[in-house]
Amino acid sequence: MSGAVARTERRPVRPVSLALLLAVAIVLGFLSGFPAGLGVFLAVGLVVVGAVLRAVPGHGLAAYAPVPVLGVLLLEASTAPVGFGTELFAGLAGLAFLVWLADDPARPAGGSVRALPALAVPALALALAWSSALFLPTGLLPVGVAGALLALLVAAVALLAGRPTVFDREAARS
Amino acid sequence: MNEGSSPPALRWRPLAPLLLGAGMVLLLIAVLTRNPVPLFLGLPLLLAPVAAASVGPRANPPVEVALTVEGAAAEVRLEGTVAPPPDIDARDLVLEFSRPSGLMGEATPRLDASPDRVEVHANWVASEPTITEVDAPRVAWQDPMGLVEREAVVSMRPLTVSRYPPELLRIGAVRLERTTPLPGETRSRRIGESGEFHGIRPARPEDPPRLINWRASAREGRPLSNEFDLDKTGDILLLLDARPTSLGRQADERLFSIARAAALGISESFLTVKARVGVGVFGEFLDTVPLATGRTQRIRIETALKRARLSSVAAPPERCAIAARRSFPPGLTTVVFSTLADDASVDLSPYLRHRGFPVVVLSPSPLPLLAAASPLSGADEALAGRIARLVRRNRIAQAWRESPAIDWDDYWSLGQFVDFVRRPRIRRVG
Repeated sequence: MSGAVARTERRPVRPVSLALLLAVAIVLGFLSGFPAGLGVFLAVGLVVVGAVLRAVPGHGLAAYAPVPVLGVLLLEASTAPVGFGTELFAGLAGLAFLVWLADDPARPAGGSVRALPALAVPALALALAWSSALFLPTGLLPVGVAGALLALLVAAVALLAGRPTVFDREAARS
Repeated sequence: MNEGSSPPALRWRPLAPLLLGAGMVLLLIAVLTRNPVPLFLGLPLLLAPVAAASVGPRANPPVEVALTVEGAAAEVRLEGTVAPPPDIDARDLVLEFSRPSGLMGEATPRLDASPDRVEVHANWVASEPTITEVDAPRVAWQDPMGLVEREAVVSMRPLTVSRYPPELLRIGAVRLERTTPLPGETRSRRIGESGEFHGIRPARPEDPPRLINWRASAREGRPLSNEFDLDKTGDILLLLDARPTSLGRQADERLFSIARAAALGISESFLTVKARVGVGVFGEFLDTVPLATGRTQRIRIETALKRARLSSVAAPPERCAIAARRSFPPGLTTVVFSTLADDASVDLSPYLRHRGFPVVVLSPSPLPLLAAASPLSGADEALAGRIARLVRRNRIAQAWRESPAIDWDDYWSLGQFVDFVRRPRIRRVG
């Protein structure tokens, strides 16, 4: 149980983050390789499913609400061809997904604002990666370098995930 | 830092592995398809858990939990605040409360969060007299995205909730017999030289002439005696029968809980007037709180009653009487809490009486519980209820042959019991 909302009440939908996610997912669905607007249809459908799962209490499935949204983003990004701005929208979709996560209706309002310090890190990394990809000569080399960097990052994340105590700080001694 | 007592450190919530897994899948797809688009989507997903862990508190934050229990009779209101340190937003706290056993109502309290504190409001109802505890809530800091969590250090003692019939508040006015002299007390001081004058009461045959107030007696036309505070206090033993009966575990537990609440109410009332109160809980053996008075004794009795549990073994009643005789002086006024549900529970008071304890049995009736759980309806239910009442009446009459027995069927009223102990009367049996 969390925050300030009773379980029996219908949880308020946070429209700004939902609209942002929906807009970016629709654009990504449009840019994806699915024919005849299927990508857009999938994006709208699964994002709405995720939003409904989070907004309706009592069924115990609210914890699984991010799964369909993450699934459709993964599907669309995997099939999207390389193009001007497609990478940017994929990155923005990831950020919009994180903002939507922070606006959990089961918790006190304003989560997306409070999450800004944490969101700044991936946003900065995304900006660096996209500007590098835009201004560096295209070819296989940047993809390889980025892939290697990401592999290193994943290794570091896996190490941190296994030892969360590295974030702890010893209590100050007077 | 003490490793044994410190709460667990930072924890990844289930969403964090989901994001990391999705990020790695996207990375794999990007490398296999030589397409940077999945890679750009995966980048925020891979970095978000690490960023969330980095911006949160770097150690288990201490939170101040100030809760109070309010309300009267059956109503139990939990009010209070939970305040984190200034560098933590209270809206990022996750609170988990557990409703105490014996209370009904909303399962989770209403929480109003502001940046500096969380206000807690809960309305519960005690369906019957009870003594229970509100445990400290589990408090954790959780990042707004719900990726990482860190336990907070909560310093709060469990709150005691005790609800019993309001008539018990005036039972302390009952005059009790004293079984042992107070420390330093002498015979000459017992007749009133020590202690403040309290009032005038009807004279008793055993009163010495010096206690008789002759002027007041002449005015009233009947013998009256002076009463002093020291003489007014007395001793009482509250004895709870914690043995299992034929009613079954569930009904036994509820009736025992009701008896514990009543015992606490009686002890608090007598302790208020400086009487000495002892408590015994007889399950397999007799656990006792020796006779004493004062605030410390109140805490001792409350703790003992909160810890008292129904025994799984029915011990013979003479064991209780023998053990009581070792711990308490004979002649001690004794209130036995027993359901009188079977012959073994009826047998307890004769053994106590034979060991020198004048006994009054207060018997919480199982009939309301049995009626609520009855699968019957209509005429069958009415017939079953009449038969159960007859059996119960017979059982009470059987107990009356040995000692006064009060049938307690309305759990929120003990007026009948209080009236009896204030003006005891002998019931003719047979």
